[in-house]
Amino acid sequence: MTLGFSDVHFSYPAPSVPALAGASVCFTAGEAVVLVGRNGSGKSTLMLLANGILRPGKGAVTLDGQAVRYDRRGLLDLRSQVGVVFQNPEEQLFSASVYQDLSLGPLNLGLSPVVARERVLHAAGRCDLLNLLDRPTHALSGGEKARAALAGVLAMGPRFLFADELTNSLDPWMRANVLEIFADLLADGCTVVLATHDHALAASWAQRAVWLDAGRVRADGPADVVLNALRQQLPPAFGHRRRTADARPPAAVSAGLNEVHL
Amino acid sequence: MQHIDRFAYANRLARLHPAYKVGCSALALLLCLVVPHPAAGLSVLAAMLTLAIAWAGLPPAFVLKLALGEASFLALGVLGVAVSVSTSASAAPGVRMGPLWFAISPDTLWTAAVLFARALGGAAAMNFLALTTPVVAVVDLLRALRVPALLIDLMTLIYRFTFALFDSLERMTLAHEVRLGFRDGRSSLRSAAEIGANLFIEAFRRSRRLDLALQGRGWDGALRVLPHAYDHPRWLIRGARR
Repeated sequence: MTLGFSDVHFSYPAPSVPALAGASVCFTAGEAVVLVGRNGSGKSTLMLLANGILRPGKGAVTLDGQAVRYDRRGLLDLRSQVGVVFQNPEEQLFSASVYQDLSLGPLNLGLSPVVARERVLHAAGRCDLLNLLDRPTHALSGGEKARAALAGVLAMGPRFLFADELTNSLDPWMRANVLEIFADLLADGCTVVLATHDHALAASWAQRAVWLDAGRVRADGPADVVLNALRQQLPPAFGHRRRTADARPPAAVSAGLNEVHL
Repeated sequence: MQHIDRFAYANRLARLHPAYKVGCSALALLLCLVVPHPAAGLSVLAAMLTLAIAWAGLPPAFVLKLALGEASFLALGVLGVAVSVSTSASAAPGVRMGPLWFAISPDTLWTAAVLFARALGGAAAMNFLALTTPVVAVVDLLRALRVPALLIDLMTLIYRFTFALFDSLERMTLAHEVRLGFRDGRSSLRSAAEIGANLFIEAFRRSRRLDLALQGRGWDGALRVLPHAYDHPRWLIRGARR
C-alpha cells in the first residue's frame, strides 16, 4: 500500500505564498518516517492534504496509485486509510466523554455499534485509556488528551498515521508511551509519519526522514543522512559550545552550590 | 459550575441510568407545581436533600450551601410579593415611609410562602439532577428520546467549549496579571476588554481547528457517538428476573 504526493502545489487564500510548491513524496507500508523542516515549510499542509481535508491546487495525491476522489465516498475511503493527529490534542476532542469521542470515527465509517465499540475498546487499550473511558475530556491531563486524540484516530483503523508535532508538548515518559504505541502500529504494518522539530527523537526513532523546505521536498532518505544534512543548515546557536579546560563557573555560583554526583 | 460538574461524575449515582434521576426530579418538580401549599415545596426540598446526601453520597456541606444560596436569592425575590406598597394606608399592618405605605397582609404572606417553597423545592429537584447526572448521561437520554440531533450536537459542543474557554480565559488572565494588567481600575478595564476580545477570536480559531479535526475523522455534519452503558437499580433487576 502506498500514499503518494506528485508535484503537489497548495496555497492558502492569504498570504499568497504557496504552502506547498511542487512537493513529491511517496510513503509505503510499515515505514517510520519523520517530516522535518522549518516552521511554515509545509509539513502541516502536507498532512491535511494526506487526509483530504485540503485539496491540491495542482498535482495529485494518490492512494495505491489511484488519484484520491474528493466526493463523499472517496473521502470516507481515504480517511479510513489515512489518519491525522494534530498538534494540539485539546482542540481535537469534542465530546463530553472519552468513550464517546473515540466512537465518532468508527461510526462515521458506517460501522455497526457493536463493531464500533470493539474498535473503541481496542484503540483505548492500545493507548492505555481503558480506565479513562468514562472521564470527561476536559478533566484529562495534557498527556492523556494526546493519547485520547491519538486513540480517536486509531479507532478508525488507519494504515497511514500522520502525527503533527504530537510529541512536542509531552514529558519524556509520556513521549516514550506514545512512541511505544507507534512501535505497535509499525509492527502491524501501519506507516507512521511524525512531523517534529526534535531532531534527537527523529534520529533515534525514524528509519526515513523527509526534509521539507519552502513547500518542496529538499531531501528524502535514510533518517541519519537527511538529519545530518539538515544539521549543517541549523543556525550557530544550535552548535555545541565546548567548555575550555580552564573555564570556571562564576564565583557566586561555585560558592553557593555543592557538587552534584550523578 | 466546575464543582457541580465534578460532583456529577463522582457520586454514587453517576452510573445509574439517567432516566431514573430525570424521572425522580421531574416528579418532584411536578409535585411543587401542582400542590399550592408550602408544605409540598418544603417536603420536596427535604426529600431531594436527603437523596442527594444519603443516596448519592454528596458532601452535606456543599449540598446545603448550594440550597442556602438559592434560598437567600429566592427570599429576596419573594419580598416583593410579601410586601405590598401603596400610597394610602391599608387595613393590613404596615409602616409608612414618606408618601408610601409598606404593608404585609396574611394573603400576600401566604402567596410569598407558597412561591418561596415551590421555587426552593423545584431548585432542589434540579440540584439533585445536576449534581448526580453527568451532562453526557443527560445527552444520551435526550438522544434516546429522539430529541433533534442538531440540538444535541449543540449541547455537546457548548458544554465542551465552556470548559475549553474557561481554560483559555484563565491563561489569558494570568498573562495579563504577570504584566501588571490589573494594577488599577483603568488598566483592569482595558485588560478585561482585551481578554474579552481575544477570547472571542480564540473561540473562533478553536472552532475552526476542531472542524478540521472532525473532518479528519469523517464528520459529515452529525456527531454520531455510542451511548454509555448505565446501571439499573438492583430491585428492578431482581423484579425483572422473577
